[in-house]
Amino acid sequence: MDLLTVSVTARESAGEPYTLVEIVGEADVTNTDELRRLLDEEVSQQPRMLIIDLSGLRFMDSSALHALLRVNRSMDRQGGVLALVSPQAAVAKILRLTTADRLIPVFDSVAAAAAG
Amino acid sequence: MAPIRDLATYAPAERPFSASGVSLLLMVWEAETAQRASAAHEALTGPPRRPSDGAPLPPPPPDAMSYRYTTDLAAVRAVVHRYAIAAGLPESRAIDLVLAVSEVAANTVRHAKSPGSLKIWYDSEEIVCQIQDDGIIADPLAGRRQPSLEAMGGHGLWIVNQVCDEVEMRSDETGTTIRLHMELPRLKPGS
Repeated sequence: MDLLTVSVTARESAGEPYTLVEIVGEADVTNTDELRRLLDEEVSQQPRMLIIDLSGLRFMDSSALHALLRVNRSMDRQGGVLALVSPQAAVAKILRLTTADRLIPVFDSVAAAAAG
Repeated sequence: MAPIRDLATYAPAERPFSASGVSLLLMVWEAETAQRASAAHEALTGPPRRPSDGAPLPPPPPDAMSYRYTTDLAAVRAVVHRYAIAAGLPESRAIDLVLAVSEVAANTVRHAKSPGSLKIWYDSEEIVCQIQDDGIIADPLAGRRQPSLEAMGGHGLWIVNQVCDEVEMRSDETGTTIRLHMELPRLKPGS
C-alpha cells in the first residue's frame, strides 16, 4: 500500500491560464515512476505556467525531487515556468539541502505563485 | 474549481508517517524495553563508542527494535519517526532522521534482491538507526560529495551525510550496513 494522490486543475489568474497540480501524501522511490508519468503528461500540454501545490505532501525523497527537477528542466526548455507552493517541513528540508529551492521558485500560496 | 481530472488516488494516510499495524507492535516493544534499553546498552557497549574507519561495527544491543521491510517505505518512516520522538529528538531532527533512513531504505528497494533490515536503539546520548541489506556499495566515498542538481541520481546518500551527526557504512560482497547516529539533546541539570 502506498499513498499518493495527484490532482490537476486548469485555472486562470488575471486572464493568464495556468495548470495547478496538487500532490498529497508521501512521494518516494516506490511511486516516483507514477508521479513522473503524471507530471510529464501535464508538461506535454505545454502550459505557460505549472504550479505544484505541495501543502498536502508530507514527505518527499530524492527520487521524487528528481522528478520535480526534471519537470523544471522541461518547462525551461519549452519556455514555461514551474513554481512550487507551501512545502511542509520535511519537503522544505530536502529542497533547501539540495538547493533545489534556489533553482525552482517556492511561494507561500497558489495566488502568490500565479501572480508570479 | 473542481479538479478536471483525478489522476491517481491511493489510500491517504491519516497523519504524518503513519502506518497501520506497526503502532501496537511498537507500544508492546516499548513497554517491555524502554526501562532497561538505556542501561543495558551502556553496559554492553561502553566506551569507545566508535570503531575506527573500516573496522567491523560492534553488534547492535540485543534488545534493539528490529523491523524488516521490502517496499513499504511509509511504514519504515512511521517506525523511525515514532522512535525518534520517543528517544527525545526534537521534531526538526526527527524529520531529518526519517529522511535519512528513507533514503537508505530506498536504496534497498532499488538495488537489493531481498528484504532490508532496520534496527533502532537509543540511550541517553544518541539514537542509532541501522539499515542492512544485500546490496553492495562499491564507492567508499559514496554520499560524501555533493552531486549537481543536473545529476539524475546520487542525492540520497549525500543527503544522509548532511542531516546525520554521524554515518558509518560497511559494504562487502555479503551486503551493506549503514548506521546513522543522531545526538539527543542533553538534559538540563536537575531536570
